[in-house]
Amino acid sequence: MTTSSASPKKAPGKAATRKRSTTGKRATVKKTPAVKPAAVLIVGAGFAGLGMAIRLKQAGIKDIVILERASAVGGTWRDNQYPGAACDIPSNLYSYSFAPNPNWSRSFSGSEEILGYIHHLVAEFELEPYIRFEKNVEDLSFDEKKGIWTATTDKGEQFAGRAAVMAQGPLSNCSFPAITGIEDFTGHKIHSARWDHEYDFTGKKVAVIGTGASGIQIIPELVKQAGHVKVFQRTPGWVMPRPDFATPAWNKKLFEKLPASQQAMRNLLYWSHESMALAVIWKSPLTRIAERVARLHLRRQVKDRWLRRQLTPDFTIGCKRVLVSNDYYPALQKDNAKLITWPIARLSEKGVRTVEGIEHQVDCIVFATGFDVSHSGTPFPVKGRDGRVLGEEWQGGAQAYKSINVSGYPNLFMTFGPNSGPGHNSALVYMESQLDYAVKGIEKILKDDLKMLDVKEDVQRRHNKAIQKRLARTNWNSGCKSWYLTEDGFNATMYPGFATQYAAQMAEFEERDYETV
Amino acid sequence: MASIDLDKMLTKIKSTQWALSDIDWDAPGAELITEEQWPKLKDFMADLMWIEHVGARAFAAMAKKAPTDTLRQIYTYFHAEEQRHANAEMALMKRWGMLEGDEIPEPNINLRLVIEWLDRYSDDMPVYVLGTVVPMLEIALDGALCTFLLETVKDPVCHQAFEKINDDESRHLGVGFSVMEMQGRGKTFIGATKMLAPLLDPRLMLGIASYVPLLNKMRDNIITMGLPEERLYAAMAKFEKIGGYHVPVDGMVKLTGLIPRRALPAVPSWVRELTYQPTA
Repeated sequence: MTTSSASPKKAPGKAATRKRSTTGKRATVKKTPAVKPAAVLIVGAGFAGLGMAIRLKQAGIKDIVILERASAVGGTWRDNQYPGAACDIPSNLYSYSFAPNPNWSRSFSGSEEILGYIHHLVAEFELEPYIRFEKNVEDLSFDEKKGIWTATTDKGEQFAGRAAVMAQGPLSNCSFPAITGIEDFTGHKIHSARWDHEYDFTGKKVAVIGTGASGIQIIPELVKQAGHVKVFQRTPGWVMPRPDFATPAWNKKLFEKLPASQQAMRNLLYWSHESMALAVIWKSPLTRIAERVARLHLRRQVKDRWLRRQLTPDFTIGCKRVLVSNDYYPALQKDNAKLITWPIARLSEKGVRTVEGIEHQVDCIVFATGFDVSHSGTPFPVKGRDGRVLGEEWQGGAQAYKSINVSGYPNLFMTFGPNSGPGHNSALVYMESQLDYAVKGIEKILKDDLKMLDVKEDVQRRHNKAIQKRLARTNWNSGCKSWYLTEDGFNATMYPGFATQYAAQMAEFEERDYETV
Repeated sequence: MASIDLDKMLTKIKSTQWALSDIDWDAPGAELITEEQWPKLKDFMADLMWIEHVGARAFAAMAKKAPTDTLRQIYTYFHAEEQRHANAEMALMKRWGMLEGDEIPEPNINLRLVIEWLDRYSDDMPVYVLGTVVPMLEIALDGALCTFLLETVKDPVCHQAFEKINDDESRHLGVGFSVMEMQGRGKTFIGATKMLAPLLDPRLMLGIASYVPLLNKMRDNIITMGLPEERLYAAMAKFEKIGGYHVPVDGMVKLTGLIPRRALPAVPSWVRELTYQPTA
């Protein structure tokens, strides 16, 4: 296992003389440390990074280093602890099949419980010794002579690995949106993914900007606490009823005593979500039925015709993330809540100015505006063979082979890479396929003592051509604007198919698709 | 008329917004309203405000129908901007002591019908009908009503507000005619619309609005019978020329006056969004 006590001695090889980089500055200072590399270097200790470590350990690979920028594990679920935060896929499916939890308290667990499950994974699989906390990776470079990846942190520490896994997560960075006048607002600002637990909302006038997956979870909780809540909506989403129930004690006992029963429940949930693909991924008669269910849900919960109109989406269901909630619509109709659909003109010293000319004065603005999703870059410079830089190659939209490898970046595996996102099923189901595929690749590197396992460029090109052709027929590409697409409408995010298809794609590791050195 | 670049227009719209608080509603000048003017102005402003508000609702319907995302966004802004005009006009009324308490002026029965009609049917109207009627309303407002108002009223705050309102309206018109061109309207048609609009009085505009369902149905009937719709609009213009139009509108107004208020459904909630207060 390598540590930060890397020798400053200059190592030979191309890594030292790179010409291209995203910043231009780092290129000449990059050096490969002369330290013994770990077998696998993992960036990120969220669901993906920890899952990767578990699967590697189970395959007998224990020479692992996990670099985590924070001082605790959990990733998205550590960061998203806003009131009401919960998953919108049933917990029995939004968990790893290789680490079942019979004790989920509800069908859709809250973020605290999910974070608890992640901590449980760390304890159960004894992952703590592998994790290096407060290691914020700023650069990841490949030395092709040695066949080694080196991660450099913001403090200049270096860690090396024969294989590297980018598990930093697609939804891990957030920032306040670039709304005009945001710096003028003198009240309190909170981002949903960086919740301020110290702030007391009691009696406060609050604005919530954003009505996506986070917004609709936060709003009902804020309406319970705050004096008044104004909800600023740009585009209404489709909201489906949420079949959320407390798990009875007998059920937990059953799952504990008879794990097969929990597996059967998982299968049932899996297949019911698979069937939803027909409604949300492609336009089919089921799409209309799903829209009708959502409309009925709206009609049942909202009696006022104008409010219903304001809340009715004008895009095909599935084009944007489908929302699930039972308490969002009722919360909007409480006496201390108001939905505002006027466009925001700017933020001012005291609040939000909307285009109908009114300044809505508030004590606090909650930004439920989502994450900085990169469709065309990487969170830190990733440098592969011949000085190539991934962010530059991805400028027109990210592309990979089977979402996990990129040609020119040998021995590098990505979780939630390009075109791996589900719209209808559990992200962790997709994740498991990725982890197992990476294990196969890494096993190959270690077993055959390879310097490079690099996917062939033409194989990758063919794969992407097919993916994009299939994407063109999906609801995501049906004309709405969403975070799934780049500004130019390129879909580098979603996988156009069933989870079962994705699993089949990932089940086969074909050696002939790769160049090996 | 040269088509405008709608993307540039959207950027311009977004970057040139104003708010009620940009105007000092308590600045001197309110006393320039004469006693003789006051009651007429009160009625005029109430109607004007409601027309803006009704226009706002029509833009909301157009946003739902817009063929492109840019146009959808533009109409969403226009919807809010028309609402801003109504709010600003209400703030003027407040300034001139024309509001009883803090209440929104009660819409008259014709307006109630128009509001009810818009609420129920405008979302189902073909976009080219709205796309024709709305620019006509806008020209009428811009060209006739606002000019009249500014010539008559000396209050500088009124001028300040309407300078801003007119800037918005001219953009609304630019987009309106551009869209009519996009929809394949000929120069003659657009020209006729421009010419016809200033001749309209507010009552007729309301009449047109309350006529639209009828007109709509009639248009469908006529088209089914094989008459191109341009001919229908030409027929409307001719109708105007022979000066006969006041009769049906007046008749309509009289007739609707007999409808008991309680027979009407409750005012839709979008009407309650109006406010004269710059901050909320």
